[in-house]
Amino acid sequence: MAIKTRNFNEARQQASTNVELIWWVFMRVSGVLLVFLVLGHIYMNNILISNTSIDYDYVASRFSQPLIKVYDLVMLALAMLHGTNGLRYVIEDYVHHDGWRNFIKYALYFVVAVLIATGTMLLFSFPFEKVGG
Amino acid sequence: MYRGREGQWAFFLHRITGVAILLYLLVHVGELTAAMFGAKYSNAILGFFHQPLFQLGLLAVIGAVLYHALNGLRILIMDFTSWGTRVQDKLWYGVLALFALFYIPTIIKILPEIFGGGGH
Repeated sequence: MAIKTRNFNEARQQASTNVELIWWVFMRVSGVLLVFLVLGHIYMNNILISNTSIDYDYVASRFSQPLIKVYDLVMLALAMLHGTNGLRYVIEDYVHHDGWRNFIKYALYFVVAVLIATGTMLLFSFPFEKVGG
Repeated sequence: MYRGREGQWAFFLHRITGVAILLYLLVHVGELTAAMFGAKYSNAILGFFHQPLFQLGLLAVIGAVLYHALNGLRILIMDFTSWGTRVQDKLWYGVLALFALFYIPTIIKILPEIFGGGGH
């Protein structure tokens, strides 16, 4: 079960398992990092430029920069895990039927695992010339 | 009093925006993956999402991220300070004020671009 409390000591007492306590801490650490990473990402791609001007050349030139690769890779992993664990809390709160709850959770984990993998492959497939685009 | 008060609204909006952001993130990674298959496919899909309907959706997602980020900081203050929970309702009005402060200029910047005002 998700932890419903408002500070670390209470969370430690309420946590059903150590893993659940680690997720509670992860949500806060990843959350504070994502505030800067995601708002920075939105600022770079929606405020500094117009989003409607984004095309393949822009995407390829960004993904070819090592700093952007690291930035996007960290953001991808943290956002996917933060979002998936958040949706797990929601599913556990509202889906009471054991079979359905497990089915929905594992379907979610599968989709997210595939997207983390393809997103990582995408970042490492640039610069594209080397593989013959 | 919890039901119908600030705390419940803050919680409800945090969940709704969180789920919306995750769904967007799944589509967003999928949309960019087309770049692995070259310029032709990538530009087709990026162009598809440049239609005004999707751009309005993106503007809404930006708002969702902004709220979720600010309210997430409110949650951190409640978790890691002794006084945070006592003033959580005031903190939420602070969240709404900061949200308006950042989101209104964002709308003013982006909305004209969606309908052909800038960009290209």
